[in-house]
Amino acid sequence: MTSLLATTLPSRFRWTDTLAWLPWIISAGIVGYAFLSGGYVVTLVVFALIYAVFVIGLNIFMGFTNQVSFGQNAFAAISGYTSAVLTTAYEWTTLPAIAVGVALAVLCAFLIGYPTLRLKGHYLAMGTLAIGLITYEISVEWSSVTQGYMGISGIPPLGIGAYEVTSDRGQLALLVVIVLILTFMSARIRTSRLGRAFFAVAGSEDAARALGVDVARYKLASFILSAACAALAGSLFVHVVGFVSPEVFGLHMVILSFTMLYVGGIGTVAGPLLGALIVSLLPDTFRAFKDYQDLAYGAVLILLLIYAPRGLAALFDRYVPAKKVGGAP
Amino acid sequence: MKYHLILSALTVGGLASLAGPAIAQEPFKIGISAGLTGYAATVDRAWRDGVELAAATINAKGGIKGRKVQIIVEDNRSEPQEAVTVYRKMLSSDGVGMFISGCVSAGNFAAAPILVRAEVPMVLCSILPQQPAQVKWAYTTLPPAGFEVETRLAYLKDKTQVRKIGVLHDPTPYANLQKTVAEKEAAKYGIEIVGIEQYKQDDADLSVQISKMNSAGAGAILKIGLGGTTLTAAKNIKQLGLNMLLLTSLEDLAVFRPVAEVLGDKFFFVASPSQVRDALPAGPLATEIDRFLAPWREKYGDRDPNWASRGWDGLMLTAAAIEKGGSFEGPKVRDAIEGLSGYQGTTGVYDFSPEVHQGLTINPFVLGTIVDGKVKVVQ
Amino acid sequence: MANPEPILKATGLSARYGHVEALKSVDMHVEEAELVAVLGPNGAGKSTLLRAIMGLVETGGTVHFRGKALPRHDTVAVASQGIILVPEGRGIFGPMSVAENLQLGAYRLQGGKGEYERRQARVFELFPRLKERLSQVAGSMSGGEQQMLAIGRALMADPKILLLDEPSLGLAPRVMTEILEKLRVLNEQGLPIVLVEQKAPLALKLARRAYLLSLGRIVAAIDPREVQSHDELARYYFA
Repeated sequence: MTSLLATTLPSRFRWTDTLAWLPWIISAGIVGYAFLSGGYVVTLVVFALIYAVFVIGLNIFMGFTNQVSFGQNAFAAISGYTSAVLTTAYEWTTLPAIAVGVALAVLCAFLIGYPTLRLKGHYLAMGTLAIGLITYEISVEWSSVTQGYMGISGIPPLGIGAYEVTSDRGQLALLVVIVLILTFMSARIRTSRLGRAFFAVAGSEDAARALGVDVARYKLASFILSAACAALAGSLFVHVVGFVSPEVFGLHMVILSFTMLYVGGIGTVAGPLLGALIVSLLPDTFRAFKDYQDLAYGAVLILLLIYAPRGLAALFDRYVPAKKVGGAP
Repeated sequence: MKYHLILSALTVGGLASLAGPAIAQEPFKIGISAGLTGYAATVDRAWRDGVELAAATINAKGGIKGRKVQIIVEDNRSEPQEAVTVYRKMLSSDGVGMFISGCVSAGNFAAAPILVRAEVPMVLCSILPQQPAQVKWAYTTLPPAGFEVETRLAYLKDKTQVRKIGVLHDPTPYANLQKTVAEKEAAKYGIEIVGIEQYKQDDADLSVQISKMNSAGAGAILKIGLGGTTLTAAKNIKQLGLNMLLLTSLEDLAVFRPVAEVLGDKFFFVASPSQVRDALPAGPLATEIDRFLAPWREKYGDRDPNWASRGWDGLMLTAAAIEKGGSFEGPKVRDAIEGLSGYQGTTGVYDFSPEVHQGLTINPFVLGTIVDGKVKVVQ
Repeated sequence: MANPEPILKATGLSARYGHVEALKSVDMHVEEAELVAVLGPNGAGKSTLLRAIMGLVETGGTVHFRGKALPRHDTVAVASQGIILVPEGRGIFGPMSVAENLQLGAYRLQGGKGEYERRQARVFELFPRLKERLSQVAGSMSGGEQQMLAIGRALMADPKILLLDEPSLGLAPRVMTEILEKLRVLNEQGLPIVLVEQKAPLALKLARRAYLLSLGRIVAAIDPREVQSHDELARYYFA
């Protein structure tokens, strides 16, 4: 966030600059409210933050690099299940289990991405969709390891060594830190040489190639970064809930994360967090509608897509003069 | 109330403290986490209706120990993550002191650690969690997986010449458990399992699996699992022109009528007592079923009572335990249910103990068939 | 044509999009410090010729740069040798700032800040407007400014030869003249340029030589000094 501050801070104050901060202020307000009020809003926000981790990754691949993947849930599942199995069946501690989980997911992302990223457009999308479905099937069928639909329970909470974060507020605080770090990283990537290469690939693969940008390599890099975030989210989920079953990483996760990305603002830095929070809390604000809850939620989503087609964060971006970026590469 | 909470969260800082003053005799709040939407919708809606019917019956008589019961239902969308959220919501926002939750087992498992921490017990429609610490706070009305299998094996042994069978099951935990029991128990009935095939709930054709079992010599198929696949299996058997019996597991009777039209007297199904009330002799079981069925039929007519009757049992046995234990406190209720034995429910007699949290220990099931559109009990 | 050592030489260059052959065995060359125009009607294969040189399409034949054969399916390697394309429609990265676009131009630059500043200074000297617009989002600029940025970005790569695909497309005549004037300056500084244009008279004013492309073949090599009138040019087109 400090880099954002540095890049958006103008020489003189303008009221429009506070608008640029609105997504952050709203996000901080929601998280702060949850922290103070306790109760199940904490649970909602904790899940939202885990999803934010997932969507930050998705945004790098889809927003920055303009590719499509319907299969990021596969990496969440790989890492989540690795975490779960290592900590329960083999009694590992949480941190190394997460590390191995994420590493395994990244390895899979490399093996999958290397051939498939040469595919274009809808071939890539279909390929990634297949990866998600296959992973789901494996988590159901490989029951000697995954326990199938029965799921794995008794997964220890997040923690370092003997210190375990079990309280709701503790988990919330830890996730806030993780999301801030990742958001900061994504902001840095956006303005780095790597990020410029992503945006060049997004703009026009041929134009990027003609400038000497190795398109396939950067697509792969983007895919792997994105998979790493998805994997981390998967592991965080299983340690926070203490349970994992195939449904957790099903198609539901893909739909939810896409909604978050588009509502929040694809390609923006604040979008994933804002989108994850809004989409997680929105249905709940309509809980009083009972059977019409989904209808109300759907209606609001449609309105959002009509009036903020580039997402909420982009809505505030519009009023902001272009970022000042240093001259050196 | 949640609406206000979130609104104030969005506008930042608005306070919406709606905690009212404690009333002398507040209703006892019981939560249901149910998959009102998603794959469990049919079962869990029925379960909810059964619990609510029991609550209305209890309240009409003045409540439990003079305290009214209030049911709070939240839709978990048949997803574990949603289940965690709604459990938390009902615990922290609604002050629920007991759960009578539906059949989304993954959701109940995912929420189990929270209930352990909150010291709130739950009576379930689904199977029990796996962790001993979590089982301590969980009870189920679900009959042991073996019962449905044994009812069918016993019929084959006693009433037919079929000695070789195939098992056709879906990958759900309960179906897997039943399959395992079938493998273990078949020999006791002098029956050999010559093929075990798995299918998925959305499969549109099962003829490959069925042909395989038929060519292995199976004279009957034990189908384990819910939904439209039962009709698919029946049609496949007919299309293939096979002379095989189809014996399916417990299910909504509405699903079975078209199956019976396809297979006629070669189709059998496991039925719970409430589904075949008219074929039962008078006795405590029939009396309890009538107590449930009278208001049920008044409200829902011909709707299948199977899942709802277990929901009814869930709340009624909880009420009995609270009356006996004399307290609404979570740990006391938990202890009281553990001490509940010989309780006559609509599905059978529940005998709970510290070791047994799956209360139905005597097989209550019968085997039914449909002749000329009428349900008949064959064993 | 007397010079035996052209900087860029394409021999039997062909290209196809699927089953459609868009370029049919083209021979062309560019000499040191030469501005060569490629003319022809819409769909003649002019853009394809540039894309074929860059290795952006499936090609046959060979392209030699400074006497060495270029790889045929590795655009990055072609660009690394200093063969830089300003694509049709400019290909600027709209959501990014002018500065970021320029940085992408110097993408292959391994050296330090000094070299970057030197190249940037050269771009600003040629297009002072880009300096003023440095922090502006590229997509929000006018067409002429975007074309300047596209050329500026290409210059940031320190090209040894510049390939331009219809730089006048969609520009007002006054802006067009301004851009072409800048190209003349660059060429006079010694930069070889291949200029693809549909507006032949403009290109012929600058070019030392011109190729006329029709239906994927070179149908004529033109000496601009010999083309005196529109009618004469039209004859080439419809020949």
